[in-house]
Amino acid sequence: MNRFALGVSAGIARVTESALGPYQTAVIRIGFSGTWLLFLLREFPHREEMYGPDGPWSWGLAQQLVSDNGAFTALLWSDGRFWFEAVYTLAVLTSVLLLLGWRTRTMSVLFMVGVLSLQNRSIFMGDGGDNVLHLMCIYLVFTRCGQVWSLDARRARLGREARARGEHVPDRVGPALWGVLGLALAAVTLSGRLFDGEEFVPLLLWTVWLAQALGWLIGRRAKTREPRILLDVVANIVHNGALLVIMAEACLIYATAGWYKVQGSRWQDGTAVYYPLHLDYFSPWPALADALAASGTMVMLVTYGTVAAQVAFPFTLFNRRVKNVLLAVMIFEHAAIAVILGLPFFSLAMIAADAVFLPTSFLRRLGGWAARARGRLLAGMGTGTAGTPLPKPRAPESAGHTASAGDPGGAKDAGGAGDAGDAGDAPVGFRA
Amino acid sequence: MDVHDGGSKAPHGPGEPGAAPAGPQGSPPDPADPRDPPPDQAPPREARTGIAALSLRYQIAVAVTLAVVAVAVCVHIGMVFLHVAPSNTVTKQHGRAIDDWIYPEFEQNWKLFAPNPLQQNIAVQVRAQIDTADGGVRTTGWYDLSAEDGRAIDGNLLPSHTQQNELRRAWDFFVATHDSDNRPVGLRGSLSETYLRRIVLLRLERDDAAGKGGAIDLVQIRSRTTNVRPPQWSQEKVSDEPVYRVLPWWSITADSIERDVK
Repeated sequence: MNRFALGVSAGIARVTESALGPYQTAVIRIGFSGTWLLFLLREFPHREEMYGPDGPWSWGLAQQLVSDNGAFTALLWSDGRFWFEAVYTLAVLTSVLLLLGWRTRTMSVLFMVGVLSLQNRSIFMGDGGDNVLHLMCIYLVFTRCGQVWSLDARRARLGREARARGEHVPDRVGPALWGVLGLALAAVTLSGRLFDGEEFVPLLLWTVWLAQALGWLIGRRAKTREPRILLDVVANIVHNGALLVIMAEACLIYATAGWYKVQGSRWQDGTAVYYPLHLDYFSPWPALADALAASGTMVMLVTYGTVAAQVAFPFTLFNRRVKNVLLAVMIFEHAAIAVILGLPFFSLAMIAADAVFLPTSFLRRLGGWAARARGRLLAGMGTGTAGTPLPKPRAPESAGHTASAGDPGGAKDAGGAGDAGDAGDAPVGFRA
Repeated sequence: MDVHDGGSKAPHGPGEPGAAPAGPQGSPPDPADPRDPPPDQAPPREARTGIAALSLRYQIAVAVTLAVVAVAVCVHIGMVFLHVAPSNTVTKQHGRAIDDWIYPEFEQNWKLFAPNPLQQNIAVQVRAQIDTADGGVRTTGWYDLSAEDGRAIDGNLLPSHTQQNELRRAWDFFVATHDSDNRPVGLRGSLSETYLRRIVLLRLERDDAAGKGGAIDLVQIRSRTTNVRPPQWSQEKVSDEPVYRVLPWWSITADSIERDVK
């Protein structure tokens, strides 16, 4: 009983005191926003055919379907060409900024708006990869995914350094961004378009916006530190909940894919893998497909291996070592699918989802390599600034921190930068 | 994930971001630089931080938040599970509640190539009746639009959704919303017809099917389904005769393709 109580209290401490998996959430942030960014750039020449008002799935058709299913899409707020181009451009822009981790929370919301707007506008254009992004972009909003590998983390560090020197660095961009977005939100709400369909996404938009205001107010005005701690704890709890959902979602994807396969006669007789390789829509390299399918034994091994790996994956999470081996297998298989079945963006999205299970030590090493490669690249170009791990030094704008709030900052890196992209992303990191 | 709290039993593990702002003075060197991560175990601080530092009122607020988020997470995962699971006792009883939770934004389908992979190539083909410039009427041959897609995908590292999904999924949509006599079922049935019309029209225009001065008057769509040949090493035999599903001729009027309907 006592041990149980201790376990519970340790568990509560863990999920309230920190936003777990700072590297894992950062890597999926980069993975999903990068996938969507590459997809948008790839489809740029086809954007009108896919999502434009005069594409085959015309604005009018989408309107009829969406008024039936209530999905969220900003593209139906107007049927103008300019609006369409603006939304597409914003989707590209917010992907870049989320990837870089600039004002992470705000960008994660705008990223979600971009993904949902385009995908819900033309639902018959997507495949499994779009489906993964659709779900994950919503879950990402609830995470503090800018704790590391982000401009926010860098800004927080510079802010701390400045405060340590006794400087006062006001944040002007945050409140401005918040104000502009608030006006936009109010305008769309008043026009009656925002709450046309299901309330979930519109309510989420307003909630995040209000939470940021709250974070700012508390950071500024609160007399005691308790409200600040409370907000931080709430953000941590929400983050950890969302992280769990993301992991569960990845497991459900594999479990569903695996368990349904077990029931299929082709997966049972060991020939299943042969067939997708010979579908015209999934065989960009017919000669390669023929070569791969030449041996019946090989096809059977891959077929059984795929099912075994997919069914087993969720259970391997209980054993770190087995999990890591299987993770490597999955990532390799998706990389192969990208080329062999011609599904690069589906595969990228799945690899990004897999990455949430990567071990921290590996991710740190990866981060180290990336930083060194970048350093060498910049040095090669003669613009290297040895001290900055992240691109383009921006003017530090870390908030209305008072100099007196000496920064006891992260006893761990994650913690130190934690609030930067967060509740505070907000106008002023409420750590002030 | 690495454990940062070192398994400390009390709710005052080191280094929680929550306590950082007002934490005690012992300030370790700034470790925020990801290239140079600090050791995992940070020096523990003495003062009570985190939720233990909060007064009862705030602790209650934390507890409520924790409970709400825990319930929401469990319910959501449960709902998604039931949504992707096969039809079962629970989904038969509570299907409505599950759908209300899932749709529209959390809809998902992970039966990837399952239970069986598709074993047929389904090609969508179209031909048109053209009003020619000299006042005559001409019927074109069949354009194999799926073969055009296939050629665009061949050797392509980055196939576009317009090549891989557009026509393929539009035809799936049509089949799913029409009965065997090609009669539309519900709103989606008629939407899928308009969608298909607009796709084939776009493709015919690209292929310049109408020719100079001509105008497309009618289109006819059919699907051609061929079995994938069984592997060489298998003794299976399947028919290699294609099966056609032929739709009636459709007129191309502004209304039927929704040109100016906004």
